[in-house]
Amino acid sequence: MTKVPIRLAVNGEAHEFLAEPRKLLSDALREDLHLTGTHIGCEHGVCGACTVWIDGKPARSCLIFAVQMQGHEVTTIEAIAQDGRLSPLQQAMHEEHGLQCGFCTPGIVMSFEAWLRDRPEPNEGAVRDLLSGNLCRCTGYQNIVRAVLKAARQLRGETR
Amino acid sequence: MKPAPFDYHRPQSLAEALALLTELGDEARPLAGGQSLVPMMNMRLARPEHLVDLNDLAEFDFIRDADGAVEIGALVRHRAVERSDLLAATHPLLPAVARTIGHDAIRERGTVGGSLALADPSAQWPLLAVLLDARVDLASQTGRRSVRAADFFTGVFATAAAPDELIVAASFPKLAESEGWAYRSFTRRHGDFAVVAAVATVKLDDDGRIGRARLALCGVGDRPIQLDAVTDQFRGRMLDAAAFGRIAAAAVSPHDDAVASAALRRDLVEVLSAEVLRNAVQRATTRA
Amino acid sequence: MTGGVSSNGPLGKPLPRKEDFRFLTGTGSYLDDIEAPRALHAAFVRSPHAHARLHRIDLSRARTAPGVVAVVGGAEVNQWTLPLRMAPPIEGLHPIEVQTLPTDKVRFQGDPVVCVLAADRYLAEDAAELVEIDYEPLPAVASYAAALAPGAPLVDESLPSNLVSHQSFTTGDLARRFAEADRVVEVTFSQRRQTHLPIETRGCLAMWDEGRQHLTYHNPNQVPHPLRSTLAARLGLGESQVTVIVPDIGGGFGQKIALYREELTVAALARHLKRPVRWREDRLENLLSSSHAREDVARLRAAVTNAGTILALDLELEEDFGAYCFYPANYLARVVAMILTGAYKVKNYRFDVKVALTNKCGNGPMRAPMAITSWIIEGLMDKIARDLSLDPVEVRRRNMLRSSELPYVTATGQRLEDITPYQTMERGLDAIDYAGFRERQAEARAAGRHLGFGLCVVVESTTYGSAFYKAAGIPGSGHEAAWVKIEPSGAVNASVGLMASGQGYETAFSQVVAAAIGIDPAQVQLHIGNTDVAPYGMGSRGARGGTAGGNALHLAATEVKDKALAIAAQLLNLNSPDQLRIANGSVERLVGGDWVKTELTLAVIARTAYLDPLRLPAGMEPGLEAHRAYDPPPMTFSNAAHLCEVEVTLATGTVRILRYIIAEDCGTVLNEMIVEGQQHGATALGIAGALYEAIDYDSEGQLRNGTLADYLVPTACEIPSFEIIPMHTPNRQNPIGSKGMAEGGVMGAIGAIGNAVNDALEPLGVEATQQPFSPEYLRSLLRTQVAAGAVKAARRGEARPR
Repeated sequence: MTKVPIRLAVNGEAHEFLAEPRKLLSDALREDLHLTGTHIGCEHGVCGACTVWIDGKPARSCLIFAVQMQGHEVTTIEAIAQDGRLSPLQQAMHEEHGLQCGFCTPGIVMSFEAWLRDRPEPNEGAVRDLLSGNLCRCTGYQNIVRAVLKAARQLRGETR
Repeated sequence: MKPAPFDYHRPQSLAEALALLTELGDEARPLAGGQSLVPMMNMRLARPEHLVDLNDLAEFDFIRDADGAVEIGALVRHRAVERSDLLAATHPLLPAVARTIGHDAIRERGTVGGSLALADPSAQWPLLAVLLDARVDLASQTGRRSVRAADFFTGVFATAAAPDELIVAASFPKLAESEGWAYRSFTRRHGDFAVVAAVATVKLDDDGRIGRARLALCGVGDRPIQLDAVTDQFRGRMLDAAAFGRIAAAAVSPHDDAVASAALRRDLVEVLSAEVLRNAVQRATTRA
Repeated sequence: MTGGVSSNGPLGKPLPRKEDFRFLTGTGSYLDDIEAPRALHAAFVRSPHAHARLHRIDLSRARTAPGVVAVVGGAEVNQWTLPLRMAPPIEGLHPIEVQTLPTDKVRFQGDPVVCVLAADRYLAEDAAELVEIDYEPLPAVASYAAALAPGAPLVDESLPSNLVSHQSFTTGDLARRFAEADRVVEVTFSQRRQTHLPIETRGCLAMWDEGRQHLTYHNPNQVPHPLRSTLAARLGLGESQVTVIVPDIGGGFGQKIALYREELTVAALARHLKRPVRWREDRLENLLSSSHAREDVARLRAAVTNAGTILALDLELEEDFGAYCFYPANYLARVVAMILTGAYKVKNYRFDVKVALTNKCGNGPMRAPMAITSWIIEGLMDKIARDLSLDPVEVRRRNMLRSSELPYVTATGQRLEDITPYQTMERGLDAIDYAGFRERQAEARAAGRHLGFGLCVVVESTTYGSAFYKAAGIPGSGHEAAWVKIEPSGAVNASVGLMASGQGYETAFSQVVAAAIGIDPAQVQLHIGNTDVAPYGMGSRGARGGTAGGNALHLAATEVKDKALAIAAQLLNLNSPDQLRIANGSVERLVGGDWVKTELTLAVIARTAYLDPLRLPAGMEPGLEAHRAYDPPPMTFSNAAHLCEVEVTLATGTVRILRYIIAEDCGTVLNEMIVEGQQHGATALGIAGALYEAIDYDSEGQLRNGTLADYLVPTACEIPSFEIIPMHTPNRQNPIGSKGMAEGGVMGAIGAIGNAVNDALEPLGVEATQQPFSPEYLRSLLRTQVAAGAVKAARRGEARPR
């Protein structure tokens, strides 16, 4: 039950609080930093709802202890939209109805925002491959795929 | 599903890490990628009282060309293997297989050393290690030693590593210039652990017959197995993938469990063995 | 072609959703996002045994663990609450009573026994491990057969046996029809046990206000008002002492309807301790002990002529219901058996439905609880075709209702009208090029590949009205209620007694209200889920939201618009509002055949109504709001045809879906995009059950696949893309013309995949009758068949068949 100082850099801001070493990053983000956009679906690394970035790379925050993050940069869904403006991917998800209940959505956005940074070619197989790491129970995935392909085309300057 | 309490340690050197493991004994577990350990901790199936976080040991994050083999440090992430230019050029089998591990986010964190240490019978790295007769390098406070893959994996989640030892690197012998290779796994869903997986290498003679072939399988026992007894039978023969598959299936003694019956595993061995042999021959033909 | 309301309005348009912004940016408000300082966190101690007597329960060590505030079991909680009693006056259904927490025995692995409250969940779980319970294991029954075997241990000792429900029904003259039939065709179909698995698990937050003696209860729940009624009653509170506030829900699918024992325990503890208490179910609990579904077996016998015409049907259905009834166990009988005949003309019909209790997690309705119906009847069509060497489409044509034969009253008294199964089937067949398929299939077989075609014609029952419940002898109502208020500024607020869990109500219902009034949907704000705000409704389940709620909102919005126009007429010095309408928020007047915009806006009318009431027509009350309720017909139906092409790889038993087409008639749609999304999601869930998902208990009632690593929810690599052909025709039985949908996809997939795989396997003489069609299952069939073939061939002295 001994609490230790946890130092986290999240979305460009430094935070410090006390918590047990066993406190999961997913819980620390939600409870200590009140960033509730990162959702918890399984706590064993399968559903992907808790996906954040660690040093810019996607990671399942339910499999990281907050204490491990000293010296690293954590990015959550709250950092994606800038001043209330949706990113191209978020906008595409909206236009293509790529979400229903929304619970898996932040994890999916985080997975794909990282992928889209490299302006990859819009390839359905590659999108489904990456998407397979996020479970969705509502959409049947089809519109999410359409949204990602749309965003990928836009980012490469293809207007279709 | 919250883990049981533990004390957290973050060594900055191998020496410090080994000292901690020795001092803390059975109650300590090393933490690398955490993609297998932390789920077990969240389910309270694993409850170490001390967690020794190895992620700052940057000295073990390397991929090196060492003449006949590539050396991969224990802390190399699967993702780094997947994207390594060096490996693409010198040992493409490894990135091709690493790409099939779980999902992107898992590959960003999971490590080669962690996978070898866990010794999940269905995982990719133990299978590759057995196929290639890899060498696993271990360190403890009393020194270093190396263990060959065939001796390293001793059972389900069991290795020859002592509790006070850490894997620091593994050395994977390279394939010959014209040696073909192929890996195939059978999963119910994309990214799952393999029910059965097969990996093969093939060197062809000048007249296109099978010279030296290797086949390794996982999902047919408590550890990956080499099937030299099968591949030896095909030396000097033209490709007959179907026969190869049948003989491989007859040569294994799989188990029944909740995931798959022995009968299904045998079916899969037949299909996958045939497929990897066929694809390895095709690659060898292209490379020749 | 939509009808019933102006086709120029926003109704039906594929408007992107209003609710998206918060979900996309992580600023939604799900249960776990709600902050409640001082709240205690609950963790439950659950039985490791499938069946055991409870003896000594020692809470002393747990009570003194760090951070623990309370530890209670049934001994305490049952005194603070009333048990669940379900005794609807239905013949063949045994009444049951369930204590809040068990004190005598546990009935399934995962049964909650003790609740620990601590400062956080980590500490609560630590303390939970210190609870000591003496269990005396009892023999368990983990299958329907075991439960009904002579001498089987009783799951519920108040019942004479484990048969908790038995219903039968006969109409027509079966004996004669079977006697005169050219042939009797028999089929068997079964589904394994599944679970809903919303990505957000269950949970609740209960806050007791001691000063006001009032409970505020946050719970992701699909039926806020029925929940409030039940919660208040079980806690011994007056209904006005309870407010249910439902936050954003991360998926429900039927799992978030009942008042479960954990949630009731948490509410009782909050009141007892006078502190907020919250609980978040974790995923292992969700798989083990939330609610399960399906696990049913159907045997159908059909009396047919040589031309494939069905003379009579005889259905036996059995369901393994698990250990506890949080829903009436006869649900399966009510729906599956009653709608089995689907789109076909069958007047001689018998069903017999039995439901048994077992020592497993109890069942609850899971999106399309009646899903197996489609496989049964559509699988029968294919079997008739195979047995009689007829084309499976031709068999359907010979038995299917045409539009000219509607309305048609089915053998069980359901009235079918405004459905178009024939049209959707023909259109789908054309789209998938059925005519060319057999040739493609033959070519593929010659090359050693096994393609299959599957067709499933779905008639989906939705939106049960009050008359349905009455006819079935079940207390309950099918109506829905709504209010619409135009505020003094002209802003529009609306509410309905439903609760969204992803269906896009905020958008779709804005469209309904906006269409009825004559404004932009962006001006309408929907308020749902708070029982102090929303009118008493029956909630969201059984695909009723769009029809029951949509029509209630339409009626309320129309009434408010009528009042606004009456005020407008007054303000414009007109004798009547007949020549007035509202368009784009302004009043328009018909002048010489053209609509001309006046200076009157809705805002001006509203301000007058609230703030200048002396200018209103004589006798008119101030204000601009309406509250209406709508009771739909007993049943409403939509219909679809699902068609797919699959490839079965014999060597591994894997099934790949090559093409999937859905031709659907959902009536007047509220939002085309949302409807398509529901079709995708429902069909994906059906595919999941047809190919992947199965809860796996061993014979001792121990769950073997209780994590997401081994309960196989399909990913984006397993679910194909769907081609949707909209063929919507209006339903003349309700004002909007809607038909309800969103469960039909599950029904269609189960039937289409079932038929496609069997079509592929036909030349091998193999029939797959149990879903999921896993590699394990298909290989076992194929291996047996190959072995049997080899034995036969060996006996004949022939070469081994390939």
